[in-house]
Amino acid sequence: MNLGLKSYSRARAVHVMLVYTGGCNGCDIEIVNCILSPKYDAEQYKVFLTWNPREADVLVVTGPVTKHVEEPLKAIYEAIPEPKAVVAAGACATMGGVYKNIHGDIPSEEISGPVDEIIPVAAKVPGCAVRPEDVLSGVVAALPLLLNAE
Amino acid sequence: MDNNNKITTQVIETEVPMGTVHSAALEPYRLRLFVEDEIVRDAELTIGVNHRGIERIMEGLPVEKANSLTEKVCGICSNSHIWNSCLVAEKGLEIDVPPRAEYIRIIMEELERLHSHLLYLAHGSEVLGHETFSMRLFYIRETVMELLRMIGGNRVQYGASIIGGVRPRCELNEMRIQKIKEGMDYIEEKVLEFADRFIRDPMVMSRISGIGAITKADARRLATTGPTLRATGIEVDLRRDMEQYEPFEFDVITQDTGDVKANLLMRVLEIPESIKIIRQAIKDLPEGKITNRSWEMQDTDIIRSYIEVPRGKLYHSYKIEDGRLRNSIIRTPSITNINTMEFACIGTHITDAQLAVVQCDPCFTCTDRAIQIVDHPFRKNRII
Repeated sequence: MNLGLKSYSRARAVHVMLVYTGGCNGCDIEIVNCILSPKYDAEQYKVFLTWNPREADVLVVTGPVTKHVEEPLKAIYEAIPEPKAVVAAGACATMGGVYKNIHGDIPSEEISGPVDEIIPVAAKVPGCAVRPEDVLSGVVAALPLLLNAE
Repeated sequence: MDNNNKITTQVIETEVPMGTVHSAALEPYRLRLFVEDEIVRDAELTIGVNHRGIERIMEGLPVEKANSLTEKVCGICSNSHIWNSCLVAEKGLEIDVPPRAEYIRIIMEELERLHSHLLYLAHGSEVLGHETFSMRLFYIRETVMELLRMIGGNRVQYGASIIGGVRPRCELNEMRIQKIKEGMDYIEEKVLEFADRFIRDPMVMSRISGIGAITKADARRLATTGPTLRATGIEVDLRRDMEQYEPFEFDVITQDTGDVKANLLMRVLEIPESIKIIRQAIKDLPEGKITNRSWEMQDTDIIRSYIEVPRGKLYHSYKIEDGRLRNSIIRTPSITNINTMEFACIGTHITDAQLAVVQCDPCFTCTDRAIQIVDHPFRKNRII
């Protein structure tokens, strides 16, 4: 693959930022786990976890996006420099999950949507909770967007 | 040990806000630190970002469906929620649970305690700045996650309990029992190795000794619960009073200082006790069926149930009308620990404030279900 200088260097340090938007913590821990834990260890493939949007390339969003996080999520998305890709991880982020779709007499009014109604999503990872292997493949699926951007 | 300064009434002008999305905090919450010369004089912790209204969407659902929805309250202690929710229904409908199912539930609960405590230690080490410890602990934790995946079929939301027993998927056969035994041996060896390494490290010890100390009296006043309460020296463990835990022998661990060191050691020492319970449960696992399906739905009054979960005391309550669930209330242990987290920050250096919050094992995603009633403009809030 012929990569430009920027893409060449970007491919050697992919920074992933994780945002919690009101999920149950299950997906979040699995994602932190798949980057920090020695068993999955995404750092050996030069994928790093960061908490700073200005140095992130990939934004991983978990949770059904409650009304309170909608604005911060947009702000975080804006703060990430181009090129960028968003991965929606987990059932809640992809389609609202149990909180949006299953209810008895009263639906929840706290959920403002699956992630793709708020910011553009490049890859969706299903599962409740997501498996670390699936997260890695989801992030890898979003990488061509970053590397072919020049 | 008491390093906490008294809360003063004077106005402190310097405020260091953190959150709601902050690089040092994994979960979204807002922490306001009021500092004077880099010493925290007052702290305020606000949650509410994660509010999804689970009790609200549970209203009017069939009981079986609502039980599996309670599991989605928390991704760390999911089994505790579904277990306690099933206990409420079983109490109200007077269903006898087969003894084999009780034992399998205990095994799941204790495996969950293992993974929660190991996660706490890993998270604590990361906040300490010791990433090597954190990675090693994540590696030990992976064994527990594999065991949970083997029994429940999923790594996080395994959903073992149903009304009247456990799912047929969670039946323990010889192969699974053997794997649990091997896993327990491995975890015990590795955790004790880690504890030895941890206690002998003077750098780590000097970083955590005496930070965020809570005295016995303060813990009582702030209604602290769970291992954070036991770390101050008060011997309260609801597992002692639960009839499900009657056949098992285990010690209630206490520490006496109530600081970060005591809290971390508390979790380390609780891991062998959980392993002890799992070993006993596997050894005397009763024969028989795992689900009691001969029960009838009827209307009940409001039923309450308390159990001890990895973070403290968990409360579930609801009533059943025409097979549907009404007036559900869930109280997770972290909500009572929020006051302790705020109090533990006071008097620490600003760099240790995050550590003082983390020492109480916060889980804010499951905590976001409370309404705060403000009686008085000056900090006299009542949380229901």
